Amino acid sequence: MSNRKRLLFWGLPLFWGMCLFLATLGLPWLEELFRQIAPGHRQVIYSRDSFALLLGNHLLLVGLAALISISLGLASAVFVTRPYGRDFLPLVTQVASMGQTFPPVAVLALAVPLLGFGALPTIMALSLYGLLPIVRNTLVGIHSIDPALLESARGMGMSPLQVLWQVEMPLAANIIIGGIRTSVTINIATAAIGSTIGATTLGDPVISGLVNGNTAYVLQGAILIGLLAVTADSCLDRLQQWVSPRMDSRT
Amino acid sequence: MIELQQVTKRFGNTLAADAIDLRINQGEFCVLVGTSGCGKSTTLRMINRLIPHSSGLLTIEGQEISQLDEQQLRRRIGYAIQSTGLFPHWPVARNISLVPRLLGWSEARVTERVEELLELLNLPYAEFAHKYPSELSGGQAQRVGVARALAGDPDILLMDEPFGALDPITRETLQNELLRIQRKIHKTLVFVTHDMDEALKLASQIVVMDQGKIIQQASPAELLLNPANDFVAQLLGGEDRGLKQAGLLRVAERMLPLPGPNSLDQAPAIQLHDSLRQALSIMLWHQCQQLRVYEGDSLVGYLPLDRIIRADSHV
Repeated sequence: MSNRKRLLFWGLPLFWGMCLFLATLGLPWLEELFRQIAPGHRQVIYSRDSFALLLGNHLLLVGLAALISISLGLASAVFVTRPYGRDFLPLVTQVASMGQTFPPVAVLALAVPLLGFGALPTIMALSLYGLLPIVRNTLVGIHSIDPALLESARGMGMSPLQVLWQVEMPLAANIIIGGIRTSVTINIATAAIGSTIGATTLGDPVISGLVNGNTAYVLQGAILIGLLAVTADSCLDRLQQWVSPRMDSRT
Repeated sequence: MIELQQVTKRFGNTLAADAIDLRINQGEFCVLVGTSGCGKSTTLRMINRLIPHSSGLLTIEGQEISQLDEQQLRRRIGYAIQSTGLFPHWPVARNISLVPRLLGWSEARVTERVEELLELLNLPYAEFAHKYPSELSGGQAQRVGVARALAGDPDILLMDEPFGALDPITRETLQNELLRIQRKIHKTLVFVTHDMDEALKLASQIVVMDQGKIIQQASPAELLLNPANDFVAQLLGGEDRGLKQAGLLRVAERMLPLPGPNSLDQAPAIQLHDSLRQALSIMLWHQCQQLRVYEGDSLVGYLPLDRIIRADSHV
């Protein structure tokens, strides 16, 4: 890929990333604008923590949760598609679906007595919540491979591990990254709820604004969460295209 | 040499292969033929352990295959299937190089082998090596499938209906090429098909199977002359058997030397290595009773109708 093509390819995520960066640093400069939105308040720019700190913390929570759900989700989906793990397929599918039917608030509420307040229960809730799209997509990705292809791979003398890494994973990569994309994007929005149990996230201004009736705070949190979600989504969209194996010698 | 002694495969209560006794010698072209579900594919796939046999002895060069390392065994046996099983995310050259790489060949030797095989299968390297399977026609993909099966230079080649999904013209071309390649490399071939014509054309030994059992095992000519029972006769096409037999015999075997009768000048032409079936078809079409026989461009003899019907006439 030439430099110009590469820039074009990553152009959209770069654009949203720039918007997010500018908003994080630039929101305090728009004090006059926010005063119009929340006229009755003495303070219209959220300032308990800097937006940069909130963003960093938010990213850290989502990132850690994603790491857990990706490794757990991939490992369990791969396990139940092996001959020795096939018996566990219904169990894993059910557990993952249950993780998603629970509203995240309920998971948070249930996690507090176990793990206390703060970041830890938030990460747990997020990783549980993000598990299903990854498990489901990995299963779909692996099952969508033509069985004759896998049989011929084995017939050629590839070991089970070689079949997994050289055939199954590359061919399922597109669908798997799609699942990661759904999981991460949902969790960027969901992580904000962590603020209700004392985790520091971009949800802080939103919660504080809702409690005090300060629309400006709500808006600042919402803008940053929205921009972060769009940036992450477009990044993963490009990643998805990037890892999809070539099946054509043209272009 | 591949030897099966009382080899049986049970799936639950059904017997997919029922006490199979079969001996396939080095260099033989053995075709397993039968209707769907007769156990021919199961038998084939037991040879490379894609399906483990339930009981009996299955040996290759005297070694029981269940004692061998599964992956090592398969790397020594070429395998080609109807749907080709080519990896869609790998270009042609990488697909072909799969087994040599698994065997740990050097990069130079792998490249050399890929070039050699593409040439053998009439696929120019420059044009095809970097194409992806989605860019190939059915016939080209199947050629690559055969090249991949041959890549590790195995002694044994297993082929499961490799030409079953191709159009008749492409199928015939590939059958001819397989015969050409086999004459050149002398592998032990085990080939599965449900098409008796394909079996008669390719095989040195035909194994007819039904309901998991071997019904008859014979050379093509023998099979046509003495089908073991009605089932085999029916597979052979019943009343068409005469034509099928004519399809196995070459013009060269019945041709008479020159000079022929004076009327020969207007007779249509046929090639020396064409079959008697083709000769008969030409006669029917042109409504004549004799053909001029050519070898390449030179006239070498003539073939009258009664020589097709009886080998001993005119002698």
